[in-house]
Amino acid sequence: MADSLLICISAAQVSAATWHDGRFARCTVFGNDENGVVAFNEFLQNSKRMPVKVIVDAIEEDYRFESMPHSFGSDRSEMLNRKLKQHYRNTPYFSARLQGRDPGKRRDDRYLFCALTNPELIANWLKAIQARDLPVVGIYLLPTVSAVLPEKLKIKPPNLLLVSVHNAGMRLTYFRDQKLRISRLARTETKGAGAIKGYAEEISNTRLYLHALRVMTLDEHLSVLIVDGNDSLSELEQSIGRDSPNIDCRRIGRQEISSSLGIGIPSLESSSDALYLHLLGLRAPEHNLAPATVTAGYRQHQLRRGVYMLTVVSTFAIAAWCALAVYQIIDTGIDIENAKKQTSGLQSQYLEETRQFPAAPTSAENLERVIEISKKIGATTRSPELMMQMVSEALEQNPAIHMRLFGWSYDRAEIANDGNASKSAASATNIPPPPPGTDGRKQSALIEGEVRPFRGDFRAAIESINNFAASLSKNAEVAEVKVVKMPLDINPTLSLSGNTTDSGEQTGRAEFKLVIVFKQSV
Amino acid sequence: MNADDLKALRNPLILLAVIVAIGAGAIYYLDRSLTAARRDFAQQTNLMRDARTKLQRSGDEKLVIVRHLPNYKNLERLGFVGEEQRLNWVEGLRLSNQQSQLFGITYQISAQQPYPYASDLNPGQIALHQSLMKITFNLLHEGDLMRLLATLGKQGAGFFSVNRCQLERSGASVATGAAIRYQPHLRGDCELAWITLTAPPGVTAEKKQ
Repeated sequence: MADSLLICISAAQVSAATWHDGRFARCTVFGNDENGVVAFNEFLQNSKRMPVKVIVDAIEEDYRFESMPHSFGSDRSEMLNRKLKQHYRNTPYFSARLQGRDPGKRRDDRYLFCALTNPELIANWLKAIQARDLPVVGIYLLPTVSAVLPEKLKIKPPNLLLVSVHNAGMRLTYFRDQKLRISRLARTETKGAGAIKGYAEEISNTRLYLHALRVMTLDEHLSVLIVDGNDSLSELEQSIGRDSPNIDCRRIGRQEISSSLGIGIPSLESSSDALYLHLLGLRAPEHNLAPATVTAGYRQHQLRRGVYMLTVVSTFAIAAWCALAVYQIIDTGIDIENAKKQTSGLQSQYLEETRQFPAAPTSAENLERVIEISKKIGATTRSPELMMQMVSEALEQNPAIHMRLFGWSYDRAEIANDGNASKSAASATNIPPPPPGTDGRKQSALIEGEVRPFRGDFRAAIESINNFAASLSKNAEVAEVKVVKMPLDINPTLSLSGNTTDSGEQTGRAEFKLVIVFKQSV
Repeated sequence: MNADDLKALRNPLILLAVIVAIGAGAIYYLDRSLTAARRDFAQQTNLMRDARTKLQRSGDEKLVIVRHLPNYKNLERLGFVGEEQRLNWVEGLRLSNQQSQLFGITYQISAQQPYPYASDLNPGQIALHQSLMKITFNLLHEGDLMRLLATLGKQGAGFFSVNRCQLERSGASVATGAAIRYQPHLRGDCELAWITLTAPPGVTAEKKQ
């Protein structure tokens, strides 16, 4: 539990205690005067950056229980602010809390408004706190703090009047259905023989006051809880039990307070406000009277703490990640070293095995591959023999054809039709890539020849050439036969000249060129 | 949050920024180191797996060597494996000319170059080369060409592939149409590719050295 400084300000005195590990050792009490403020300043010197929670126990307080139309969000805030400003124009210390809904048809919201109507009471003390840059968590009225008490004591009557005696007088706080409804500080005689009688009268008066306010009727049963921190009110308990039959009275003494709430006897005895400071330390009430200007320091304190927490969490997260990464790097490094050792061992074993191998000029893989390559190259090697046989047969079938030149090529590109060898396949860029498993080469041949005898009959010569080409095309190995040059170029884009003299002798030449291309698989 | 809040938060925010910056730098550096370490481990694991596989297959490897070594030696003897044997080629050409009863062969061998169809043969570490030889000769008839090529192949001078050939009738013969016995009628020229390959030395070869 975070350390904090707990302060209770009343008209008579100011009690301060340092809350640490869910308790405080003892209260330091200051008089509510100039000397007290000076002493308080000295006391604060030891409380650096410690959040401060302030209880105010004063007669100048106000409680209003009102119903308002049900609303929520910004509408509710606006309405409440308007109402608070309307009720409490002269003080900045006020608050409003929702206490439930009306049982009627409208189901209006019920609010408890409360305020410290004399801000001057705490002004000097608050100034001293702020001068030390101590963040103020909140300012609370004592009855709102004491609301924790019945809950801690597990007392849950529908009508409960909490009674306690302070230096400033007698405090009577009424709870309806475990919710604070009203509280008053009655100035009565707290010492002497008439004190108990005066207390009993105040309780009776309070009952009448509640009846007048229509909070409860006189017929209703009322439970009175007397908080007797110094064991001086046992007589009051007996008096109420004797005189008021419809009042159920219970007193909790010093020992019970100590055992029920976990406050040490010395702490309890250190101040009359010790019990309430302890309750405030246990849980701050929701009714915080401090305006935003007063709690700004605490807000900044919280933000700073949040950022520091985020820094700590980030540092731990980063450190954890880095530690894990370093561990993994080291672990992986060890694995690498182990793998290297194993690899080295396996390689040594392999070398040992290879000593039994027959001496080979290269690795087994390369040996196998060399044999495979030699077979593949052997399978792709071609000679012009097949082409020559085919041409020879075609020439026998066409005796008019006389061959003058035979060219053969085995390349990715076809043989050139000018009689020269084809371009190198490696340098040819317009050759499509070969199908898988082949090198893309194919056989092709160029035949240059003439038709003999030729007596000027171009039609007959061309027919002989076409017949020769057709004879070649019949072979299954042939993919294509192209006549690239005819004896007579009848292309209409070119000029044409000649002599039509009809003679029985040889006249001119009927030359042609022909390209044969084999299928790629041949 | 107003200006006062921000002022109050200045130092904590600076501290947070410094921590985050240092942390980001450390995370970046360590992440890279970890990635590199994992990559090295993966590589080393692959090496180890390869070594294990190699060891497991050493028996098979031995069988492969025993099975293929004679053929390899034969290819080495033929001049297919190892350095070029140009002297053998020329000698083989000379003998082929004699045995084919030709009228002499003129040859021209170009500089050695990479074999252009090597990539189709998946050669791995093996380097394939070729040297192009252009030969020119005179023939009595077309059949002499095939006889020459067959004879050259039988010489065992090397491993060659015929790229192209051309036969052309001699001008006089074509003009007169009267062939004189034992006089060349045809002029031929061919381009042969003498193919060789070199394989890197293996473990056993290194071991013997």
